[in-house]
Amino acid sequence: MPKNKPKRSAPSVDMTAMCDVAFLLLTFFMLTAKAKPQETLVIDTPSSISETKLPDAGTVTVLISKDGKIFLDMTGQHTRLDLITNIDTAYALRLSEEQKMKFSNLGSFGVSRSQLKKFIDLPSAERSAFPAAGIPVDTADINKSELADWIHRARLAQYRMKQSGKVKEEYVIIVKADKDTPYPAVQKVINTLTDIKVNKFNLITSMEGKAEKK
Amino acid sequence: MSEIAQDGGGGHKKGGKVRSKKMSTRIDFTPMVDLGFLLITFFMLTTTLAKPQIMALVMPDKDIEKEDIEPVKESKVLTLLLGANDKVYWYEGITDAKLDSTDYSAEGVRQVILNKMDKVREQFKLETYKKKNKEGVEIEHTDGSYINVIIKPTKDARYKNLVDALDEMAISKVRYYVILEVSALEEAFIKNPAGGLKFSVEEQVEAATN
Repeated sequence: MPKNKPKRSAPSVDMTAMCDVAFLLLTFFMLTAKAKPQETLVIDTPSSISETKLPDAGTVTVLISKDGKIFLDMTGQHTRLDLITNIDTAYALRLSEEQKMKFSNLGSFGVSRSQLKKFIDLPSAERSAFPAAGIPVDTADINKSELADWIHRARLAQYRMKQSGKVKEEYVIIVKADKDTPYPAVQKVINTLTDIKVNKFNLITSMEGKAEKK
Repeated sequence: MSEIAQDGGGGHKKGGKVRSKKMSTRIDFTPMVDLGFLLITFFMLTTTLAKPQIMALVMPDKDIEKEDIEPVKESKVLTLLLGANDKVYWYEGITDAKLDSTDYSAEGVRQVILNKMDKVREQFKLETYKKKNKEGVEIEHTDGSYINVIIKPTKDARYKNLVDALDEMAISKVRYYVILEVSALEEAFIKNPAGGLKFSVEEQVEAATN
């Protein structure tokens, strides 16, 4: 009797345990994977040999589209809420608490301050269709440049959040431009950054070889 | 779930009737595991590969004073003018500068930079020596032979050109490089190389401090 038994059960391996592990890992990866926020513009970055990875948190990204429009994006919900409250009081935009909350979850935006309220109120599906003109930049007078103001206030907001222990790091400025962006548009951003004493920043590039060379 | 399977595996002692009943509870998990691992692979690859690279860039401070500017030897300076249609114009020094053009390939601008480095090394009789860094990897050092590269993108250049130029700096290990605005004189120089570059040091200083 005992000799016959192993022959019958041998070919079928118990898959249950393996299945458990597989789905546990699957759940883990699915939960840790960040949903890609809806991009309001498509940017094809140039390639470089740099191997430094983009940090997950604590970044302000200045996006420059192919036609030179400037968009802005920053990480951290707390900071964004603090920032929009600050902007709201400084320029009397009269945003409601709900609109501020909406802004804190928004991805990148490229509208002037006066249009911001309208932009926030749009349903997320229609935001990419919004005729965004980009954030206005004034290279002649830095005090009038909305981009400079945004970045400056964002850094202050992040600093306040760091003081209160809500975030660990200060903001790193990232410039993300399309490989076909004309240089004058990039220069405008670089000039704005150096004007507000951000002399050190990072350029986003993709991996060499992955993107086509030339 | 696992308990059901174990029951099925361990319950073969009895007769035919019981066995057929037990077999019905046993499910083949193999396709499910296949699917699971396929999805895991997908999520793993998409999460790690989606992260882009960054390249640090430090710009000179705008409020620099004239007195703080340290002059460099003209013979060590190489200026790259990033032009339209992926072309690089370059000249050495400022006196009797000869304009030449090349491209962003490995034989192009990289060779220009390496040639300049060799030239400077020879001219200043600089020795190269090897020194181990913290990780014990030997790195070639050359005392002060580092050339000064000035990158000036013209308004016809695209962003990719700038990144390519910065990449070349990293590849050739150029220690000192700076991005400056192109001057009207240089724009005229590109259009008419035979006209020569009428550039003065004073003008350069003026441009840097303003």
